[in-house]
Amino acid sequence: MKKENNLQVFRDIAREPYAYLRQLKQKTGKVMVGSTCTYTPEEILLAAGLHPFRIFAQSKEFSLADAHLQAYGCSMVRGMLEDGLSGDLDFLDAVVFPHACDSIQRLSDIWRLNVKSLHFDVLLPVKLDSELSKSYFVKVLGRFKKEVEEAFSVEISDANLRKSIALMNRLRTLLSTLYELRSQSPEIIGGSDLTAVVKAVMVMDKEEAEKQLQALVDVLKQKQPSGSAKKRILISGSVCSHPDIYHIIENKNAVVVWDDLCSGTRYFEGLIEQEEDLMAAIAHRFTERYVCPAKHLGVKFQMENLKKLILEHRVDAVLFMLLKFCEPFSFDFPDIKNELEKMGVRYIMVEMDQHNKIDEQMRTRIDTLLEIL
Amino acid sequence: MITLGLDIGSLTAKGVLLKEGQILVKHLIPVGYNSKKAALLLMDELFEKAKIKQTDVQKTVATGYGRNNIDFADKTVSEIICHGRGIHFLLPEIRTIIDIGGQDSKVIILDDKGNVANFVMNDKCAAGTGRFLDVMARAMETEIQYFGELALRGKNPSKISSVCTVFAESEIISLVAKGENREDITSGIHLSIARRIVSMVKRVGMKPPVAMSGGVALNVGVIDALQKLLETPVITTPLAQYGGALGAALLAEEK
Repeated sequence: MKKENNLQVFRDIAREPYAYLRQLKQKTGKVMVGSTCTYTPEEILLAAGLHPFRIFAQSKEFSLADAHLQAYGCSMVRGMLEDGLSGDLDFLDAVVFPHACDSIQRLSDIWRLNVKSLHFDVLLPVKLDSELSKSYFVKVLGRFKKEVEEAFSVEISDANLRKSIALMNRLRTLLSTLYELRSQSPEIIGGSDLTAVVKAVMVMDKEEAEKQLQALVDVLKQKQPSGSAKKRILISGSVCSHPDIYHIIENKNAVVVWDDLCSGTRYFEGLIEQEEDLMAAIAHRFTERYVCPAKHLGVKFQMENLKKLILEHRVDAVLFMLLKFCEPFSFDFPDIKNELEKMGVRYIMVEMDQHNKIDEQMRTRIDTLLEIL
Repeated sequence: MITLGLDIGSLTAKGVLLKEGQILVKHLIPVGYNSKKAALLLMDELFEKAKIKQTDVQKTVATGYGRNNIDFADKTVSEIICHGRGIHFLLPEIRTIIDIGGQDSKVIILDDKGNVANFVMNDKCAAGTGRFLDVMARAMETEIQYFGELALRGKNPSKISSVCTVFAESEIISLVAKGENREDITSGIHLSIARRIVSMVKRVGMKPPVAMSGGVALNVGVIDALQKLLETPVITTPLAQYGGALGAALLAEEK
């Protein structure tokens, strides 16, 4: 008998993540710790018995945030602040601000003064690839661990840390298996569903997430690939909060086979290796994986990573989806674009706000790219 | 075989009826608030002009912003592809098309078969579009159709640095207050729109010869400013506004 998949579980949580979290808190009494970026060391929070989740910027209209941030700023940061100020995060106990980009750093300051919750800053180094920055980062994580222990009067044991590292590694492996399955046979799961799965995992109880993910992977592995010839698209950029994009692409006989987004592969890329020093082990995953352009390793690194993905996943075209006013990406784009032209890979770049719908201008450009492939 | 190309833009709806590779009739009406209604009205008027019935049309392709609303079309194709095809039909030697419409501007690079090789489109706002010229013509108390000619009469074009329609308008008010003359200000406005287009042309990489399509191609001031800045002739055709609709009708004929 054909087994039904459990996609609806992920869809529901991704649609109403805060409702899920509110319920989870009621049921388990767990301390809810929001994170503003994928540089949050979730393993430390899990080992302390806390529940880490990603703050998504669910607000669709901003009125409160714009009293603190200008309208020509990152819509994701404005949206997170709106979520905080509007009371949508009324279940929130604490927030972690990894100092990734300028906007998140300033958000941390504004948040501290205006939203009631415990506050942690993780002071990331500007560059992550030097020996000095690596040893500094290990110390930063050690300090973060100590701050969490003091704030919640808990001791984070090495045994618990090892357990949470193993759990997060299993989750990352499952998510990456899911992506690989889709790259091989795109028709087994829709693009918007895949995004919903990653988004849901970012907020779910991690053990529950593992169970549900395992079940989903098992069902999808049974599906037979149809071998249909569709154009293969890679989405590169910051975040994609527009499930419509996947429908537009899929309606044009094309499919998104991979991404390097903060709302996608960057969440699960790279595993934490076994090391004696657990803080060093956690730090190393962050410094070895593909980095956010806000933590610069030079455009060459970004380009090499993109080239590797294009070849590995037989990509026909790249759709750059950048958040408006996200400067780190805009600085890299002209050089990346030149390299793609040399490779003969087609691309377009669209800029958008997190909360806005896809308009006809953007649709025209995406349609045209797909029509000329 | 008779085919119909409909280009439902942001401001105007254009239609072309094509019979065996020849333009039967062309027609244009304002879109207003309901793009589907505009398309139906446009079709009625087209059929009346051509003295044919709807059933005589074998295939319809819709393009333009309103294309996805036209559910009776056999196919929808983006206007970038259609403009490319339409201009290639009219001017086969053209490799770069500058298309300035009501609310966006595009630069399209064609290969020698008229296929789109690359394109770039403005995405921020009304800067560098027909709408910008509309607002500025009103500020200069001129009808839009005479606005380009007024620009040609400017001897020392005023400097306008804002690309934003709203800010540029207040900049112009300051120039008026300073007593700069209308021709020079108008000439400055045309140069400012041309500068914006030129940056797009450079981004995508110009391949001569260059042509202009879309409604703004009717403005001699913009053509003149573009020629000066690009240092190359910018060719246009009286059918420039119908490039998209013509391309759609041609694509309908192909498939």
